[in-house]
Amino acid sequence: MSGDSLPLILPLPRFVTESCEATTLYRELRQPLLRYLICLGLSADEAQDVVQDAFLMLHKHLAAGGSQENIRAWLFRVAHNRARNRQQSYDRRFCAPLDSDFDSMADEATPEQAVLEKEKFRRLEEAICLLDQPERECLLLRAGGLRYREIGEVLGIPTSTVGDTVDRAIRKLVEKCHV
Amino acid sequence: MCDFSGKLIAWMDRELADDEAAAVERHVQGCAECRSQVDAFEDMSRALVSYCDAVAELTPRCSLPHWAPMISGAAAVLALLLVFLQPSVKPVPVPLQVVQAQQAISLQTAPRAARPAHPRHAISRKQTPSTNWELAEPAIQIAIPAEAIFPPGAVPEGVNFVAELSIAADGSAQGLRLQP
Repeated sequence: MSGDSLPLILPLPRFVTESCEATTLYRELRQPLLRYLICLGLSADEAQDVVQDAFLMLHKHLAAGGSQENIRAWLFRVAHNRARNRQQSYDRRFCAPLDSDFDSMADEATPEQAVLEKEKFRRLEEAICLLDQPERECLLLRAGGLRYREIGEVLGIPTSTVGDTVDRAIRKLVEKCHV
Repeated sequence: MCDFSGKLIAWMDRELADDEAAAVERHVQGCAECRSQVDAFEDMSRALVSYCDAVAELTPRCSLPHWAPMISGAAAVLALLLVFLQPSVKPVPVPLQVVQAQQAISLQTAPRAARPAHPRHAISRKQTPSTNWELAEPAIQIAIPAEAIFPPGAVPEGVNFVAELSIAADGSAQGLRLQP
């Protein structure tokens, strides 16, 4: 560097703090987000793209001084909306004929258990197909560990509606599957 | 159906207020029908989580050749080497001919009558073809504060940049190159 060039030394405490928060959230929430998006019908690659977009938006959100409250619901909402934008993929799983290859699942303890498990998943998937969209989404978000309040924020519906929807959906599944 | 039946799933999910949850808990302990329902709901909840895990695990990824990670890794290493082993930018001295040319220009644009050119300032292309400043590659090295280029906090501490600005013969900017 030339002698008259100015050294560009910048104190970056805020940048470092935000990066740490985003990294912690990424470790915690990446896998649940991927699982939710794939269950919605996105391919693994599409889900990866959506998750990366969501975390990029999170970084911008934090860098812009955005609220850090309910950040888990915030991330799921961003990812959910991105998935909805890929409507074709979004509808793929539950509107097209089932094509889940449960036969390729890792072997269970015994062949009998493996067969039972696969059969249980097939019946469950058929039952999930019979649910309406809000019921499916509420159940999948609940399976991802979200509270009713968070599910309501993701889907833009009141918490009481989430409770009613989850209750109705689980009863339907129990009735159809007799798990 | 039991009166408490509608609250069982919310109770399982710990979504009820404390007093309400306590009431449901007391009821479930003494109601075989509700206990049976709770068992079924819990089994279904576990099955749903397992189902989601299985779907996520079974969804195929874009298949890459087994050597793809090695190639991409090697490319990354090569890129890093190119970045860090690049010779540091040395100060680019302004060519003498440029200085002379600037002086010549200033002399040429000045009124001749008021200030006649001194013979040593006059650059004749015929006399000194090697000092043709238009053919030289002028370059100026400048230092720009990072705040003027990047948003606050975008550049990690200790990272410096040198901006190398090339200027065309007509004075317009020809290129700007940033180097760490």
